[in-house]
Amino acid sequence: MAEEKKRRAVATKTAAGIPKFVRGNLSATLRAKEEGKKVAKAFIHDGHDEIMRAMDIVPAWGESFSGVCAAKRDAEKFLQKAESDNFSRSLCTYATCHIGFEMAREEQGGAMPEGAPWGGMGRPDMILGNGQLLCDPRFKWPQALQHYLRDVPVFVTNMYYPPWDPNVDHHEQEKFYVKYCTEELHETVKFCEKVTGKKMDWDRLAAVVDLSDKTWDLFVDTYDLRKAIPTPMDTGDAMNTMVPITFNIGTQEAYDFYVELNNELKEKIAQGIGVADPEKYRLIWAAGLPSWFALNDFQYFNGKGAVFPVEVTYRDHEKIERLDLPKTNDPLERIAWRWVRYWTHWYDAARKIPGSTPKVARIIEYFEDYKCDGVVFHSAFSCRSWHAGIIHQAEVLRKVYKDIPILIMEGDIVDISSYNEADTHNRIDAFIETLEAYRNKQKN
Amino acid sequence: MTLVIGIDVGSGYSKAVVCEDGTVRSHAVMPSGGNYKDTAKAVSEMALQKRNLSQRDIRYTVATGYGAGMVDFADETMTDISCHAAGIHRIFPAVRTLIDVGAQFSRAIRVNDEGKVTLFIMNEKCAGGSGKFLQIIARILKIGIEEISELSRGSTKPVEFTTGCAVFAESEAVSRIAEGALPADILAGIHNAMASKIVTLVTRVGLEEKYAVTGGGAKDAGLVKAIGTELASDVLVADEPQITAAFGAALIASERISR
Repeated sequence: MAEEKKRRAVATKTAAGIPKFVRGNLSATLRAKEEGKKVAKAFIHDGHDEIMRAMDIVPAWGESFSGVCAAKRDAEKFLQKAESDNFSRSLCTYATCHIGFEMAREEQGGAMPEGAPWGGMGRPDMILGNGQLLCDPRFKWPQALQHYLRDVPVFVTNMYYPPWDPNVDHHEQEKFYVKYCTEELHETVKFCEKVTGKKMDWDRLAAVVDLSDKTWDLFVDTYDLRKAIPTPMDTGDAMNTMVPITFNIGTQEAYDFYVELNNELKEKIAQGIGVADPEKYRLIWAAGLPSWFALNDFQYFNGKGAVFPVEVTYRDHEKIERLDLPKTNDPLERIAWRWVRYWTHWYDAARKIPGSTPKVARIIEYFEDYKCDGVVFHSAFSCRSWHAGIIHQAEVLRKVYKDIPILIMEGDIVDISSYNEADTHNRIDAFIETLEAYRNKQKN
Repeated sequence: MTLVIGIDVGSGYSKAVVCEDGTVRSHAVMPSGGNYKDTAKAVSEMALQKRNLSQRDIRYTVATGYGAGMVDFADETMTDISCHAAGIHRIFPAVRTLIDVGAQFSRAIRVNDEGKVTLFIMNEKCAGGSGKFLQIIARILKIGIEEISELSRGSTKPVEFTTGCAVFAESEAVSRIAEGALPADILAGIHNAMASKIVTLVTRVGLEEKYAVTGGGAKDAGLVKAIGTELASDVLVADEPQITAAFGAALIASERISR
C-alpha cells in the first residue's frame, strides 16, 4: 500500500506539466505493441536516444519507472521482491526496484503487477545497456534482467571516454575514443535493425541529432536564466524539468517544453518573482541524485530563504558551441564527439587547480557563475558511481575557498528505509545557521 | 545581573545551564524520559533552584537538542550542532574538530577560529558509535553506565569484536561472557569498536587538530582514550562534557541580549 504523502508544489507552471510527460512515456511502452512498435529497456545518458527515436523504438526507462515508484512511496514491494532473490539493498535501487517489478510480472505470466504505479511499464522486446567508466548497473542490470526475461535479446555497448588523469593530455586520446564509440553505435544500429526488422533511415537520424543539438542549446540557455537574483526556478523544479532532456531528447515535444519554460522564466525575472521571498541564501546542489520520495525537502530549504539556482545533477548537457565539435557527415560520429567532449570539457579547467578533478572544476564554475553562498551534496548510498568522491570534492572545495559552508546529506534514490525526515531537517537547520554565521562574518 | 539559560533536550538526557555574562552559574542534568516538555521544565527549574533563582530572573532562553521544539518557554531554538560548536569554542578555542558522542547520535563537527560550524557529519541510522551502544553493553554486564569508565581501566586483554554493529556486538559480548571473558576486557573491546567507528566518521570531515569530545560519551574516560589512540592525537575533554551544547545555547542567549 502506498504511503500517503503531501503533494509537492513546484514554483513554475511549466514544471507542473511534467507528470503528463512521464505518464506519456510509460503509456507509450504499453501502447507500443498495438502500434506495431518495439520497446527497448534503455538507460538515460547512453548515447542511444537518437537511434531509438529515429527507428520508432519506444524507450522503457528503468530509472524513470523506479523513480516514479519512489516518488509515490510505493517501491518497497518491488525492492523486497528483488531482495527475495538475493539482490542486496546496497545495490543500485533503480535497478533492484525495476528488476523486482519484472520478476513479479514474469511470475504472473506477463500480467501487470497489481497496483503498478501509473499503470506500469511495457515488457521490453530488447534490452540496451552501455558500460561506462563507473556505473556498473549499466551492464549488470541488463545481465540480471536476462535471468527473468529469457527471450529478450540484450545488447551492451561501451561508450567510454578518456579517463581523468591530471598528467595526461586527453586531447591526444580523443580521436581513439570517438572512433571506438562510433563503432559501438554502429553496432547498436545493426542490433536494432535485426530486432525491429527495419533499416535505419540515416537522413531521419541526422535530423533527430540536429534537433537534439538545438535542444541542448535551448536547455542551457534556459537554465542560465536561473542566474537571476532572485532565481525564478530552483533545483526542486529542475528535478522535474530534467524529464524532457533526459528521457525525450530528440523529440519536438522536448524542444517545445524548453521554449515554454524559457518564456515563463523570462516573465518571472521581468516581474522579480523568485522561488523564495526573500531569497537569503543561494546554494549549489553539487552532487547526487535526489531522494525521490523526499522532494519536499527542497521546499523546506525554500521556506528558510535558501534556494538552489543551479545543480550538477541531470545537467548533463552543454552549449554545443562550447564543445567545439569537429564536422562530420556521420550522425553517429557526431553523437560520439558530443559524448566524449561533454564528459571531458572540464578537464582543462581542472588541471589548473592542483589536486582538483573535473567534477570540482564544474562545481567551482557554477558556484561562481550563479553567485552561490554554500554547497550541498547528497549521498545516495545505493548509487556508488555518482556518489563516490563526494568527501574528496568537499575537501578540494575547502582548500580552494578556505572556508565554505558545505552540507552533506544522506539518503537513497528509491529506498525510503534510508531516510529520516526529522534528522534531515535537523541537518538542514544546522546548515542554515552556518550560512547565517558566514553572512554575519562577511558583514563584519 | 543578566541571566540567561540554555536547555539541551537530548534523546537520552536533558541538560540546563544558567549563565551570567558568559560564565556558568549552575547546571543540571536529568534523564529525558518520554515527556520532553515536562523534562525541559524540570531540568530548567533544577538548575535555577541551585542558585535560588526562578524563570522570572532569566532574560533569554535558548533551547536545543532533539526535543528543543517542545520547550514552549524558550525564546529561540537552535540546532545542537551550532550549540556544541559555540560551547566548545568558549571552553577550548583551539579546537577545530569536535566529536559529540550522544545517546542516539555521534557527530563529527568542524569548527573554525570563530567557533562556527563549517562542516558536520552524523552517524547514519546505526547505534554503533553512539552512547546507546554503551547502554546495551552495561545492561548485559548488569552494571550502571556510570561504572563503565572505571571498570574498563582494569582491562589487560581487550576483547576483539568482529563487528561494529551494536546488535551483533551484543550477542558477541554474551558469547564472550559465557567463555569467561572479564567485564573489563569486554568494555575495553567495546571502546575500541566504538572508537574505530567514530574515527571513521571524523575522517569524513577531515582530520584537523585539536580534537575535543563532548556529550555523555565523553564522560567515559576509556572511550575517550580509545578515540585518542585511533586518532593518534590528544583529545580534550571539558570538566562537564555533557553540558557543552546547553552551555553553547546559553552563550547564544547571551549574544542575543547583548545585540
